[in-house]
Amino acid sequence: MIIRVVLLSCAIAAPALAHVTPPVVLASDRDAITTLLPGARRHFVHEVRLTEEERQAVQKESGWRPEEDFYRFYIGRDEQLHDLGAVAFLTEYTIHGAVRVAVGLAPDGRIKGALVVELSEETYPWVKTAIDGGLLRSFAGRDAHEPFPRAGARSSMSAFYADIIAALVRRAALVYEAGVMKRQRN
Amino acid sequence: MNGIQLSRLPLSGRIFCTLFLLGIGCGALAAFAQASTAVGVSPAAVQASLARDLPMTGMHHGEPSGEKEIDLGEISSEARMTIRTPLLIQTSHTHLFGQTLIAGLIGLIFLFTSVRERTKAAIVALPFVGSLLDIGGMWATRFVSPSLATLVIVGGTVFALGYVLIAALSIRDLWFRKEAA
Repeated sequence: MIIRVVLLSCAIAAPALAHVTPPVVLASDRDAITTLLPGARRHFVHEVRLTEEERQAVQKESGWRPEEDFYRFYIGRDEQLHDLGAVAFLTEYTIHGAVRVAVGLAPDGRIKGALVVELSEETYPWVKTAIDGGLLRSFAGRDAHEPFPRAGARSSMSAFYADIIAALVRRAALVYEAGVMKRQRN
Repeated sequence: MNGIQLSRLPLSGRIFCTLFLLGIGCGALAAFAQASTAVGVSPAAVQASLARDLPMTGMHHGEPSGEKEIDLGEISSEARMTIRTPLLIQTSHTHLFGQTLIAGLIGLIFLFTSVRERTKAAIVALPFVGSLLDIGGMWATRFVSPSLATLVIVGGTVFALGYVLIAALSIRDLWFRKEAA
């Protein structure tokens, strides 16, 4: 009797437990900032709260609406306080777990580099395949308005996550342009 | 309970219950190791992963921007997992189902021990209460007060205490208790 009930309960429990996918952290925030802002002597936190108009402009440009209350950029400067670039961290939550990327941006808004800093155990092999295929290197030198590289002949899941990472990188560039660059010009 | 007692189970039943409890125990140890490495098992670590991200610049509500010089030492050098609301929802749904089912299954075995009814009622409730405190504490840390991160630690401890008591008393009945005729 007991065994029958326990066996039945195990059968019910298995699918629920199978959903747990532990996170994998690939780099600390400090390591990502140091890597993406080489040569910076002084570091600043610059936080921006986008206006409704700025949010709409980003949405019109990309189809994505920035919903966060504020966005944080880590700015690197030299001893004379010249901007050397900025780093932003953005996250996308997928059904297979979160993907968090650090994006390095030049003062003119062009992408200097990107790192995947956090993902889930389940997504790791798909994302690794994309990274090994040169995905992160392919962003360098682009700005938010240039077409981003489409995922090549990888598995469909790897291509799916490559597109998510590309979208996050582009979002960082769009928010930087709307919240920092355009405001400096005005 | 209802005439069924763990001490009267045939050998196959005893092995089944023992290995099930052992397996859950190993799983709990692995989960503890996972929690320690991904988040940390101190209230401060839980708070750092779960509490709402507040502006570092002191930018007030409605202000368009803020800037502040920082020392890189202020940024965490540890690979730290951040749990934002969507991940909290995902974690809650998997853990509430998983932990409640585990609490139910080990509790089910425990119901057939010879422990006194009041003690049994208290012990069987521990893993359920621990799960609710654990997951509820995560939400409270994020949306009520970061100081409630302690609840997550208390919840995990209560769950572990419940498991240890249930496993120890069940194994005592399964293997060491002589059934009075």
